[in-house]
Amino acid sequence: MADLAFTIISIALIIPISLFLGVIYAFLLRKFNARFQWRVGPVVRMYSDLAPVIGSTRVWQPMYDILKLFGKDTLIPASAHKRLFTWSPYFSLFFSFAAVLFIPFPGMPLLSDAPYSLIVASYLLIASILFTILGPVASGSPWGAIGARREVELFLVAELGFVASLFLVAFMKGSLVIAELSGTVGSIPMVLVTLLAGITMFAAMLGKLHIKPFDMPEAECEIVAGPYTEYSGKLLGTYFLAKIFVLYNMVALFIAVFLPPVSSSVLWLPLYVVAALVLVFLLAVVQVLNPRYAIRKALTWYLKIVVPLVILGFIAAFALRMVA
Amino acid sequence: MKFKSDPTLVDFVRTEVAPEGLSFKPLHENRVAVRIKAEDADKLAERFISKFKARLIHETAVDLEGEGFDMIYIYDFSKVRERLVVVLEAQISKDDPSPPSVAKITWQASWAEREIHDLLGISPKGTPDPRKQFLPYEWPNAAESGTAPPRPDKGPSGPQEKWIPLGIMPNDAYATLIPIGPYHPGVIEGQTVYVKVEGETVVSADIKTGFHHRGIQKLIERRGYHKGVFAAERVCGICSAAHGLTYVTACENLYEAEVPDRALYIRTLLLELNRVHSHLLWIGVVADVIGWKTGFHLSWGLRERVMDIIESITGNRVNYGIWRIGGMSRDVSKELAERALPTVKALKAEMAQLLPAVAAHSVVKSRLVGVGPLSYADAFDGGAVGPVARASNWKIDVRADNPPHAMYDPKVISWEVITDDDCDTFGRTLVRVKELLVSSDIIVQCLEHLARTTGEVRIEPKVIPVNSEGIGLNEAPRGELVHYVRASEFNMNLPQAYRIRTPSYRNNALIPKMLVGSNLADVPVVMGSTDQCLACTDRFEVIRESGGPSHSMSWAELVALGKRRGV
Repeated sequence: MADLAFTIISIALIIPISLFLGVIYAFLLRKFNARFQWRVGPVVRMYSDLAPVIGSTRVWQPMYDILKLFGKDTLIPASAHKRLFTWSPYFSLFFSFAAVLFIPFPGMPLLSDAPYSLIVASYLLIASILFTILGPVASGSPWGAIGARREVELFLVAELGFVASLFLVAFMKGSLVIAELSGTVGSIPMVLVTLLAGITMFAAMLGKLHIKPFDMPEAECEIVAGPYTEYSGKLLGTYFLAKIFVLYNMVALFIAVFLPPVSSSVLWLPLYVVAALVLVFLLAVVQVLNPRYAIRKALTWYLKIVVPLVILGFIAAFALRMVA
Repeated sequence: MKFKSDPTLVDFVRTEVAPEGLSFKPLHENRVAVRIKAEDADKLAERFISKFKARLIHETAVDLEGEGFDMIYIYDFSKVRERLVVVLEAQISKDDPSPPSVAKITWQASWAEREIHDLLGISPKGTPDPRKQFLPYEWPNAAESGTAPPRPDKGPSGPQEKWIPLGIMPNDAYATLIPIGPYHPGVIEGQTVYVKVEGETVVSADIKTGFHHRGIQKLIERRGYHKGVFAAERVCGICSAAHGLTYVTACENLYEAEVPDRALYIRTLLLELNRVHSHLLWIGVVADVIGWKTGFHLSWGLRERVMDIIESITGNRVNYGIWRIGGMSRDVSKELAERALPTVKALKAEMAQLLPAVAAHSVVKSRLVGVGPLSYADAFDGGAVGPVARASNWKIDVRADNPPHAMYDPKVISWEVITDDDCDTFGRTLVRVKELLVSSDIIVQCLEHLARTTGEVRIEPKVIPVNSEGIGLNEAPRGELVHYVRASEFNMNLPQAYRIRTPSYRNNALIPKMLVGSNLADVPVVMGSTDQCLACTDRFEVIRESGGPSHSMSWAELVALGKRRGV
């Protein structure tokens, strides 16, 4: 009973925490990007003459952008399949938020100790991205269709790396429960294989989060806004909110599965914060250093680099299990 | 420096080049005007190109009102004789304005012939592409009708293909016609490129221009020679130095011109600074198009420093306003030159680092190598100019072949023409990055000369004679730029006709050729690789809601609005 009450309280708590952290990560991505590019970026402490007008900080800029969209008109094109077009953003948001509940936060295991929570969480994350494809396809815009097409192609390879890296660790540790994966460190060879899986997971994150060089679904110079071309107002804001949660989820899942035992206890919270900062910093560095790949090149990159690494990891994990 | 001409050239043209000519008029500086019969135009074009390896610079027409039209063909003979330019002129009547087509011999005249049909109604016989150039394809029918009226001499010019919307269940969406433009984030310019894609592969492409007509040629014809320089500078906001210099070169070409040496150095200095800032801008644009925002910010950061030097010299950042017929309006002082020198040298060292950043970055290379191929033969026949031609291994540079009225004498200034044999976007990038270094060398030499010497920068302008013709040629950052001016027969201060042919006019025509076979992701890269010229406006209208009065914002209001940061 106490457990149930604790779970309910932690679920209530994780809503603001995940939103807060997602916005912070998005802010940091923008800030790091800007500083690498001789720009100011969203300012942490607003200039004194402007502070009375627009507030003392712009750390919440990603959230402000979304709130602004919620105040705008929402246009639905006549050529769109109306029901699918309208509901896709909400489904995307729902699934990305639902995934939050299955990924542990230091001191809050949430639902991550439920059976098969790893499969549930990865399915929810995949479903969220699936609805960023379905909505644009229903919009009737050629740009949306081409953006969605690119998203599908990228989705197939990035998801392969994502799922394979997760299940590599799960296979090695013999568990499909995230809470168990995040609680056990294992032997030194196991840590090494986890590290390898972490690298492939990072590569998959680039594709899932549309970090350059894998941001071709949103390449505005080539295909306008890609999947989001026909979206506006609340629907676009909902998509962006879903992206904030996806960003939080990816970072949290990475730390839970590949950096045990950081997510298992509230005592690890400082290390959790450091790990998240480093991860976001690395994402920003990759983003800054690279132009965008053409889609075909991105596919071959994943197939040539990520897939062999994952196969190598599986061989090692299999050997470890045989020895054990 | 006095610009002299070679008096033997008229005989050379009369006996060898164009014996069919009716009359021969020597113009200044090795330009020869030949009046021919209109029927001979294609025959002469064929001989010029096959025998003399001449190059058509421009084809245009002048409305003589009651007397018909004058067809004008400008050919570059600099490979045969030093700086020789032959201007063929043929009068045709307005009753049957159909001279033989030159475009069927050299494809590069195609756009020019489409243009003169649009604007003057002259329809050259046998032109390979009779579609409209600046007017909508369907004109005078409504653009939505999708059908063009047939032309009596050429048959129908073909309906414009319609954009096929791709719904959730496309019936025939295996090939999609995608309109890139008139306004598109990839290339911020009013033009439409229709690309037909199967999957993401481009199977055919077409380019449609004509979205901003600003009437600058007519404006110059109405304002007189000395005021025209300010209008000419405003043709382009990026290569304004090139247009200013070409304009004064064309006007100085109308008489036995003399320009002080110091002014020539200042002209070279400004033109090269302009080239450096234009190329840095281009690198930024292409970096942006391939999604490399960091490259964009770095190259535009460097560009700002070039703009600061330009501003310290001319007082302006965009339109310099210091070009004058017969010299320059401002001197570059010794102190200014000495102050700019270390900045330019430091800038060159930083720009030298761009080269490995482009040539060695694997992702950058994957987006540029093999994209937008243009072979030497295609470039030659299509009339590519500037870095696009030089990247196809064609050593063409007006500064070397037919220099403008600036200091490009190899005995005084050491510089070289950069070429590359990659024949693709990667080659165009390399050419431009290397040209940055060559240009900064020229700038350093000019600044050193200006710091060392003193002298006049302008001489009193002479009276411009009536009934003369001038051709200003110049290597703009984007390629060969031509201004053609014909002095009025009656008025001492007004040209009868003024024609501008920008380098983008030629390079844009080649874009559909480069696009076919490429990936949709590469379309903006290919379009950007020719470095298209932009046209801009600097004012806007405030329209009040609910039918209130509207008013244009004044300059002071705009400045005040800009100063209100963040509100």
